[in-house]
Amino acid sequence: MLEISNLSASIGGTEILHGLSLEVRAGEVHAIMGPNGSGKSTLAQVIAGHADYQVTAGTVTYNGQDLLELEPEERAREGIFLGFQYPVEIPGVNNAYLLKAAVNAKRKHQGLPEIDAFEFLKLAKEKMALLDMDPKLLNRGVNEGFSGGEKKRNEIFQMAMLEPSLAILDETDSGLDIDALRAVAEGVNALRSEDRAIVLVTHYQRLLDYIEPDRVHVLSAGRIARSGDKTLALQLEEKGYDWVREAANG
Amino acid sequence: MKPATLHLNELQEAVEKLPGDALAVSRRAALAHLRKHGLPTTRDEDWKYTDLAPVIDISNRYLQHDSFTASSEGLDDVVGQICDSIDADWLVVRNGVVDPASTGPFDQAGVSITRLSESGGEMEFTAPLSNLNAALLRDGLRVRVADGAKPGRPIGILLVDSAAETPGMSQTRVEIQVGANSTASFVEYHASIGAADHYANHIAELALGDNSHVDFVRIQERGSNHNQTSRLAVAAGRDSGFNHCAFDIGGRLVRNDLHIDILQPGSSVEFNGLYLAGDKQHIDNHTRADHRVGPAKSVQEYRGIVTGKARCVWNGKAIVHQGADGTDAAQANHNLLLSERAEVDAKPELEIYADDVKCSHGTTIGELDETALYYLRTRGLSKHDAKQLLTRAFAQAIVGKAPIAAMREMLEEKIAQRLGPLLEGIDA
Repeated sequence: MLEISNLSASIGGTEILHGLSLEVRAGEVHAIMGPNGSGKSTLAQVIAGHADYQVTAGTVTYNGQDLLELEPEERAREGIFLGFQYPVEIPGVNNAYLLKAAVNAKRKHQGLPEIDAFEFLKLAKEKMALLDMDPKLLNRGVNEGFSGGEKKRNEIFQMAMLEPSLAILDETDSGLDIDALRAVAEGVNALRSEDRAIVLVTHYQRLLDYIEPDRVHVLSAGRIARSGDKTLALQLEEKGYDWVREAANG
Repeated sequence: MKPATLHLNELQEAVEKLPGDALAVSRRAALAHLRKHGLPTTRDEDWKYTDLAPVIDISNRYLQHDSFTASSEGLDDVVGQICDSIDADWLVVRNGVVDPASTGPFDQAGVSITRLSESGGEMEFTAPLSNLNAALLRDGLRVRVADGAKPGRPIGILLVDSAAETPGMSQTRVEIQVGANSTASFVEYHASIGAADHYANHIAELALGDNSHVDFVRIQERGSNHNQTSRLAVAAGRDSGFNHCAFDIGGRLVRNDLHIDILQPGSSVEFNGLYLAGDKQHIDNHTRADHRVGPAKSVQEYRGIVTGKARCVWNGKAIVHQGADGTDAAQANHNLLLSERAEVDAKPELEIYADDVKCSHGTTIGELDETALYYLRTRGLSKHDAKQLLTRAFAQAIVGKAPIAAMREMLEEKIAQRLGPLLEGIDA
């Protein structure tokens, strides 16, 4: 589904990713771990299409097409979803309105008619219940005055409504208490399916207690220093990131 | 450069041709005042950013044409559409002429309407442009809301003009007296059609009785080659409440003055506004709150969305006079500047001569939030739709303050319609 080959990317003239390669297949859950500054968020933003990041070398192919050619909205309509580390507050834009516009933008792209208002509301309420979210948040401004946990749940809620093929969740676990973490993990697990891939970007192993990854990659200095199965995350927890750095340098 | 001057001799001829009705005396007095004091120029501090030369030019061309029979073609449709879009009892003034049908038996208890051409009355010309207004005024309206009256529906005042082939000009005047202990709401709607140039000059006065409350929504939706100056002066009585919300959606050169005089303690006034401008529009809003006594509160927030080569001015002045202790005055002005060639002049002014006061002001001029735009695009919205959504949200903060809640949906639609063309071409 996603093939990243030899990717280098920079922001403001500083190169963050140095020849990163990664392949994610449909049905898989990958965890990308690494210390601060190793390039985890940069990778997430490059896949989503943030204009501030310049790709200086390499390719990113998504379902056979050149992803880097597409605008952020085209990527979204093609089924890519980025769960933000810091979800943006947009006062005055109704949460439900945005969701409906997002769902319909994708449906239009797929040649489907707009979603029925009743059906939309029913679906939204179902998904919110799953995430243990207050239904009142649907009619508030997007993330406006939401607590940290509510913002992260809202990201997962959007993902659940948009049913992406490829979901990249950037530090979705950061700042969550244990109840919120469980709810978010439950939401993610509910979306696991054969035709969907999920990439979890995380600093800590904690999230992986709740969402079991198929593959774990450790990023160091802009490239993947080590890959393995879920036991790699446990090893990391035990030995710390210095172990990976030393291994990469050695 | 010598400022543009009004052709006073032609103006006098025009005044002399108007009927010998109850306004005849004040017209002549106003003409004399105009000869002596003239019109404001950019040398006046309050008119620094707004040059009246274009409207003086239209006035001169209008006076030359000597045609007082303005075309009213197409006006019926406009009047019908506007009156249907807002639930109110409407008073209609077309090309400066009061529509007699609209002043007929007014079926709200406690509301009475008279025409100035029949009842006359004293007029002052101290406010800028009020002399020009009174000199050429053909008719006006006096609205009285009796003590203790609470009319259930808004009173609509529709000021509509057309200038089909020759330059047009209209003077309108409305005097409103709201009695003690009464509650009323007003909609003042300015609209115009026609391809020729036009200048409309509106003067309004509102006296708020003790313990009265008035909600007021002003909408200006003039044609793209039509100009307007307007002034509303409010005298606030004891414990009165006034909530004003203004929407400037159309027009070429527009200047609105809103002046509130707090004469008795206990009043609370709120005035908010939204201006949308593109192309070469020039929209100037000047507000002034005179706190002559305390305690009293005035709060205002104006917002602007400005693009193209448009220029907008916001000047909010609060004067806390000596002894007006317990004054609470807050003013805010926020602007979205969407093109490099657009300009906003934001000028908050606080003059405080009392000790125990709470005053604040803040202005911002910025672009759309790039992070929010990106966030919306990652959800599948096109750049254009994302921009529309964010600008509408910015405007919504004022729409939500419109005191006649039933109008908000209609206002929201009107704003969305105007934002469409305004945002075209800024996607690059």
